[in-house]
Amino acid sequence: MAEETKTESKPITTGFLSSTQLMEIDACTNCGECMKWCPTYGIYNDKPEITPPAKIKAFRDLMGGQHGLRAKIFGPKKLNEDEIDKFTYDFYMCSTCGVCGSVCPVGINTVELWEAIRANLVRRGNGPYEKQKFFPQLLYKDRNPYGGKAEERLSFVPPDAEVLESANIAYFPGCTAAYRQQTLGVATVRILNALDIPFCMLGKDEWCCASVLVRTGQRDIMREHANHNVDAFKDRGVETVLYACAGCIRTASIDWPRWYEGYIPYKNVPLSVYLREKIQNGEVEWKHSLNKKLTFHDPCHSGRHILHHIGKDWTFEAPRDVYHAFPGAEYVEMERSRELQRCCGAGGGVKAGVPDLALGMGSARVRDGEEVGAEIMSSTCPFCRRNIMDGRNAMGSKMGFADQVEIMAVLMGLDVAIPPNPYLKYQEWDDVLGDRICIKPGDLEPVKPDDIEGD
Amino acid sequence: MAFYTLGLTFSIMIALTVAVLAIWIYGLYFNFKRWGLGSTGYQDELRNSFWLFIATWIHEAFEDGIWVFIRTLILDVFLLRRTLRRSPVRWIMHMTMFYGFLTLATVSGLGLLMDIIEHFNILGLAEGAEMVKHMTELPFDIFGYLLLFGVTIAVLRRLILKDVRDNTTAYDVVLVGGVFLITITGFYAEWLRGNAFLVGDAFASPIYAPHFSLIHTILALALFAVILPWSKYLHIIAGPLTILARRGGE
Repeated sequence: MAEETKTESKPITTGFLSSTQLMEIDACTNCGECMKWCPTYGIYNDKPEITPPAKIKAFRDLMGGQHGLRAKIFGPKKLNEDEIDKFTYDFYMCSTCGVCGSVCPVGINTVELWEAIRANLVRRGNGPYEKQKFFPQLLYKDRNPYGGKAEERLSFVPPDAEVLESANIAYFPGCTAAYRQQTLGVATVRILNALDIPFCMLGKDEWCCASVLVRTGQRDIMREHANHNVDAFKDRGVETVLYACAGCIRTASIDWPRWYEGYIPYKNVPLSVYLREKIQNGEVEWKHSLNKKLTFHDPCHSGRHILHHIGKDWTFEAPRDVYHAFPGAEYVEMERSRELQRCCGAGGGVKAGVPDLALGMGSARVRDGEEVGAEIMSSTCPFCRRNIMDGRNAMGSKMGFADQVEIMAVLMGLDVAIPPNPYLKYQEWDDVLGDRICIKPGDLEPVKPDDIEGD
Repeated sequence: MAFYTLGLTFSIMIALTVAVLAIWIYGLYFNFKRWGLGSTGYQDELRNSFWLFIATWIHEAFEDGIWVFIRTLILDVFLLRRTLRRSPVRWIMHMTMFYGFLTLATVSGLGLLMDIIEHFNILGLAEGAEMVKHMTELPFDIFGYLLLFGVTIAVLRRLILKDVRDNTTAYDVVLVGGVFLITITGFYAEWLRGNAFLVGDAFASPIYAPHFSLIHTILALALFAVILPWSKYLHIIAGPLTILARRGGE
């Protein structure tokens, strides 16, 4: 007897797809350019079904069976649930990095397309994938994905640091810097204080940006988070919000305005843009030189994802200008950089849902850094850092990893030690000037005038 | 010279052409309406209409203003900038095929119009129409060779390059093979008619000319007018519309 397959008449919904996105499904020429760049296919190269053209074709076939000419004449084709399950699996084997869209000859906005199709799969009851389904519960309960207490969100702030209740400038650290990579939060606060910039933070009123929900197609509580955070900034009279997290600035710049019901009066600025301005104005005083070769990993979320929104200078050049200003540092560029960068594999829910894939992609990025002889890889995204460090540890590489802000704080001679707090034991970072050393004291020398760019 | 065979007449061919055009236009309407199953934007409600798609497309294509639209139209649709960035060879292939095909289709349309004028001697312009048809011989030749060049690159890429060959589907074979056949039969039809610009009447054959003309016409109409809106080849229309809606991509 032939194996029975489950059949179900519940249709594939199109609710989260715009009509021009449905057109994009028909615009793919199957040229295969995206397959050359796809980082997930680079790891799972025996699974062509996870590549962008294959996913688009699969969705086109599903839609054709429901709404095509044949369906109009003979009625919609019954959907095979096994096929839908396979389709869902293929669709979640993607970090939504968007390099496919960057190289697409017809300019398909793939990130938005993948996210919209995922949202429809979630609505139909097929998505998300594996552990990704716990995100809404976590965010609903604690307003962050780490189970941290809201009142302890600023537990990383050193007692002697000055953070105001309200100010024109706000710093949005994000959940990872608040609970898991607190050195980044400390370094940011220290730098802003050292530059005499009055700033505020939302503290317990800061909720997760909810990036992970949008990326995995789970949009149910997104509106609450967007409205809450935007209103909290408005209540404090904020005019500029600084972000040292790529995922947060992407979500705050692109996703929140789609959900927020009202005018958003402040502007979102990547911290590297703000710091570059301070450096170029001569306001930064360097204390140390870094005798290391370092490279920059462009995060997808603060690069390709918001390139059309804030332009190439803010996305790609500002962070590089900051690295070039580091005294004594030798900056090297990886072969794949800027809009063609290779994704680290942390995004799109892959880290939680498909950890093996994430690890493979993280290791591939470490190899990119090793090929150019980098001793330190640096980035402006805590989530990229986490995954690249995992990849590095898995492959036993000796390359260090530090966030741009942390290196800058060290070179400015600032104290980046985390004060005692309940989350100290969860920290996931290469110590800057610590035991699992990324930058050793011997790597630093007192700064010399020749080390400073422009002097 | 009569160019019709198998009992086909001029009137039958005109009727067939009109029928094919009607199918083609309905195909576009059908697909635009199908795309209208989506929403007008993020989180908006579904409305499912032909006009919803048209309105959404216009809104998105002109979102950054008329100049961005024109710039995208010139650089990304007419000059295929995004393809050039990735592969100059593929760019040459697409440019020659795009302009070869587009010009041949336009000149063919003009030829059909002249045929109608000549056949019915509309406004007594039959002689003038005949002259215009002669003037189209040169563009037919030039753009025919251009198309042949492009389609030859397309065939060779799929034969020689492993990654392209591995990624080739039956649809691609039919599309590339179909264009190749249409181009070749078009050349034969012209040569056998004896009115090709470059080779003159060296290959003129009144017996076989009508057959090749018919094969060429049927292939062209079948592939690009009847099949196109109802198959994956819809990307020929959806692709440029997408580039315009996305304002050239990022």
